[in-house]
Amino acid sequence: MSNRGDRVLGLILLVLALAYGWGAQQWPEPFGGAEEVGPETFPTLLAIVLGLSSLYLMFKPDPDAEWPLGKTAAELGLAMVILVAYAFLLEPLGFIPATTMAVGALSWRMGAKLLPAFMTGLISAVVVFVIFNYGLSLSLPAGPLGAE
Amino acid sequence: METLQFLIDGFAVALTPYNLMFALFGAFIGTLIGALPGLGPANGVAILIPLAFTLGLPPETAMILLTSVYAGAMYGGRISSILLNIPGDEPAMMTCLDGYPMAQKGRAADALAISAIASFSGGLIGTLGLILLAPVLARFALTFGPAEYFALFMLAFATLGGITGKNPVKTIVAAALGVMISTVGIDIATGTQRYTFGVLELFEGIDFILAIVGLFAISELLFFIESKAGAGREQVQVGKLTLTAKEVGATVPTQVRGGILGFISGVLPGAGASLGSFISYTLEKQYLGKRGRFGEGDARGIAAPEAGNNGASSGALVPMLTLGVPGSGTTAVLLAMLISLNITPGPLMFTQNADIVWGVIAALLIGNVLLLVLNIPLVGFFVKLLSVPPMYLLPIVTMVAFVGIYSISHSTFDLYFMIAFGIAGYILRKLEIPLVPIILGMLLGPEMEKNLGHALVLSDGDWGILWGSPLAIGLWGFAALGLAAPYLIGPLLRRRMGAAIKEGPESD
Repeated sequence: MSNRGDRVLGLILLVLALAYGWGAQQWPEPFGGAEEVGPETFPTLLAIVLGLSSLYLMFKPDPDAEWPLGKTAAELGLAMVILVAYAFLLEPLGFIPATTMAVGALSWRMGAKLLPAFMTGLISAVVVFVIFNYGLSLSLPAGPLGAE
Repeated sequence: METLQFLIDGFAVALTPYNLMFALFGAFIGTLIGALPGLGPANGVAILIPLAFTLGLPPETAMILLTSVYAGAMYGGRISSILLNIPGDEPAMMTCLDGYPMAQKGRAADALAISAIASFSGGLIGTLGLILLAPVLARFALTFGPAEYFALFMLAFATLGGITGKNPVKTIVAAALGVMISTVGIDIATGTQRYTFGVLELFEGIDFILAIVGLFAISELLFFIESKAGAGREQVQVGKLTLTAKEVGATVPTQVRGGILGFISGVLPGAGASLGSFISYTLEKQYLGKRGRFGEGDARGIAAPEAGNNGASSGALVPMLTLGVPGSGTTAVLLAMLISLNITPGPLMFTQNADIVWGVIAALLIGNVLLLVLNIPLVGFFVKLLSVPPMYLLPIVTMVAFVGIYSISHSTFDLYFMIAFGIAGYILRKLEIPLVPIILGMLLGPEMEKNLGHALVLSDGDWGILWGSPLAIGLWGFAALGLAAPYLIGPLLRRRMGAAIKEGPESD
């Protein structure tokens, strides 16, 4: 059984702990002079705790979990792209078109047929939009379709 | 008898039509959240927080809503345990053992009804325990100084991985990461900018609500995609209710025992609802011995864990409300709501925000009654919803999470942050780094730093003050025990629990 996962994690965490701890030492002394407890005391403590734990992980790693490969990894990557695209398009496109696409695309990639997937997207988008904009009077971006 | 007076005042808060409506709504949504596989209580409550915010609910209403959801989720978890042999959430896994066999014998409706009744008694016993214990503990907690609080936070982290947790070092890593995230932003004490890299959005720190929603909701979606479980499971038949009053009566002693055991394990740090239902089930099995037919669909085998897990969920509110230190993932999320509402959790809440505390407690009692009333006639409806495949459900849940986060600040920046947390959450879960300590770290980090600072100022920089009182030493001792326990008794417990259960969601 491989246990590279924990070793890599340990290494990344160690670098993080060092950077974080080093960063804490760079702040200028606060106005009014240094006291027993400065802004750097607590972060320094944390860096030490994280650093020691990361060393433990590198020397005594757990066996790896199974990481998705090939097609599953591609699906996961696609889902992340859909999420980012949703956030990106929400304001320019408006809530209903963006949501229809995001929910539809996700359902479709999770195994639904194209038409029911995008219908689910459209219906849920319209329902949520109506509830939020009219029921709760919280404005979601209407986009070009809702231009007044 | 001042407790009684407070409770009556609490009922006055909880019984206003406005709050009652939200309690009912919360109970309903909560049952749904608990019932649907892949949408645990912590996850469900997390998604509702931004909504409670944007609705501009008054603090007591927001807390009543979320507490009802919390109580409801514990009810809902059992539905898929009984019908599908798949626990809707982790504490419901013991219910599979007798619930599913009973359903296979064509008595699914009876199993659901018994579990609803047992959930009710468990919840009731737990809430009564909460009413009796919380004010006492709150008064005791008033004697805590900053050093004791610092030790208490350590205890919370050390035990959060739970006795059944795997690798305590990973719990420490998670907690450290969470606290580190909380240090981003302008330091309150000195005004120093820490880890902001000049980015304006980071000056006020990272909002833990988006971290929570990202870590839970988005990572859950990614896990479902990976496991290709989008199609869901086949529809199940519930059948007619044939339960007799005699049969229900026979399980009453079991319910009482289960509820009390559950409450105790809920209050104890690190035990939580999962252990509550486990202990209730195993002890009941041993107590009844040959008189029970456990594992073959014994009604008492359903009543014990259900009473246990609902008792524990009320018990888990005790440390959260009195000390500001949650003992489980879901209570951590409830704590996040309190902090966001600008209420400082802890012993002072019982005097300064008595209306909220007692309103919430009264809402728990009312919620339990509502849940019982909701659950028996509406069980068929919940069962129908169980058959909605995750491939439609999870994208919609994700969308609701987006809407919630977006409507807080109307900024796309927050959405990217949430997605980043989701992806990080997925990777960390893959590496078996628990997510709940990260969230707890973000929540408790500022308090920890503040108390550390106060303690060291009091002692003129002598670190010895942190273990300077017997109480503090005791807390440190328990914290050390909490970290050692997974090594000592963890493997044994895990093996026993694992014998019954193959899969389970991340948190309780």
